[in-house]
Amino acid sequence: MSGIGFLYLGLVALLYGLCHRGSPEKTGKSLRVSGMTFLKLLPMLAAVFGIIGLVQQFVPPAAVERLLGDAGGFRSILIAGLAGAVAIGPPLAAFPLAGSLLEAGAWPPAIGTFVVSWILVGVLTLPLEIELFGTRFTLARNGLSFVAALLIGSLLGLVL
Amino acid sequence: MGAEDKKSPFSLRAALGAQWLPLTVLLLYLWAFGASKDEAIRALVLAGESFVSVLPILIAVMALTGLIQVRVDRGRVAKWLGPGSGAKALIFAALCGMLLIGPPYVIFPLLLSLRRQGARWAVVVTVLAAWAVKIQMLPLEVQYLGWPFAIGRSLITLAFAIPLGLLVEAVMEAGRPRG
Repeated sequence: MSGIGFLYLGLVALLYGLCHRGSPEKTGKSLRVSGMTFLKLLPMLAAVFGIIGLVQQFVPPAAVERLLGDAGGFRSILIAGLAGAVAIGPPLAAFPLAGSLLEAGAWPPAIGTFVVSWILVGVLTLPLEIELFGTRFTLARNGLSFVAALLIGSLLGLVL
Repeated sequence: MGAEDKKSPFSLRAALGAQWLPLTVLLLYLWAFGASKDEAIRALVLAGESFVSVLPILIAVMALTGLIQVRVDRGRVAKWLGPGSGAKALIFAALCGMLLIGPPYVIFPLLLSLRRQGARWAVVVTVLAAWAVKIQMLPLEVQYLGWPFAIGRSLITLAFAIPLGLLVEAVMEAGRPRG
C-alpha cells in the first residue's frame, strides 16, 4: 500500500525536477506553499482520521448499511448528499472518510454523491458566497449543484 | 480590488470553521474514553494507522498542490477567461477549473474577479463545478475508493460542469430584461 504512495512521491519529485529546469526559483516557493498548506490542514486531517478511527471502532457496519446501503436506493443517495452538503472540511478530507464509509458497506452511488456534494455544495460557505455573488446566484448554484451531485452519484452507479 | 479587502474576515470565518471539527472530535474522544477506555484506544490506534498508511500519498498530493498553485497564475487565468463567451470559453473554463487549486475562500474572490472582467455566469459556474474534479487528489481517491470509482466520478463530474454552468446562468437571467 505505501509502495504506491512512494511511487506517487517519486512521480511528483520528477515533476518538480522537470519544472526546476524552467525556473528554479519557483521550486522553493512551491515547496513552501505545499508545506504551509499541509500545516494548515493538519488539525483538520487529524480530526478526520480521528473520526475514521471512531467510525471503525464504534459505528456498526449495519448502521452505515442501513443509512447509506444499496437497499436504501435513492434515499441513501439523498442522505449522502445532505451529509456532504453540511460537511465541514477540505475536499482532501472527503476521500478518506468516504473510503471508510464504503468499507463499512455504503453504496458506491451514495458515496459518489457524498464526495461531489461535499466539494460543490457548501452550506457553511453560503454567507461568503452570498456576500460575493448575491442571494439569487448562491441559491441557484448550490441548489442545482446539489441536484447535480445526486445525478452524478446515480450515474456513477450505472458505470460501476 | 474589493475582493481582496474583504479577505481577512473570510479567512477568520474559515479558520473558525477549520477548528470546529477538531474540537468536536476531541470531545467525541473524551466521551469515548469515558465510555470505554480500551475501545477508545483502539479507535485512536486505527486512526493513527490509517493516517500513517496514506501519509506518503498525502505528502505527494500536497507537493503537487503547491506546484500547481505556484505555477498556474490565477490572475492570468481570470484574464484569459474573462472576455470569452462562446462554447470554446466554456470548454476552456472547464479545463481551467480542473487546474485551479485552493480553498473556497480563495476561489470565490477569484471567480468574482472573473465575473468583473466580463465573464458570463456560465463560465463562472463551470470553473467552480470543474474545480470539484480534484485532479490533484486522484491518487488519494484511487487509494480509498478504487480506480473505477475515481475515474468514473471525475469524468462524470467534468461532464456536468458546463450543463450546470448553463443552467445556473439560465436561472440568473430568467425574468430579467435583456441587453
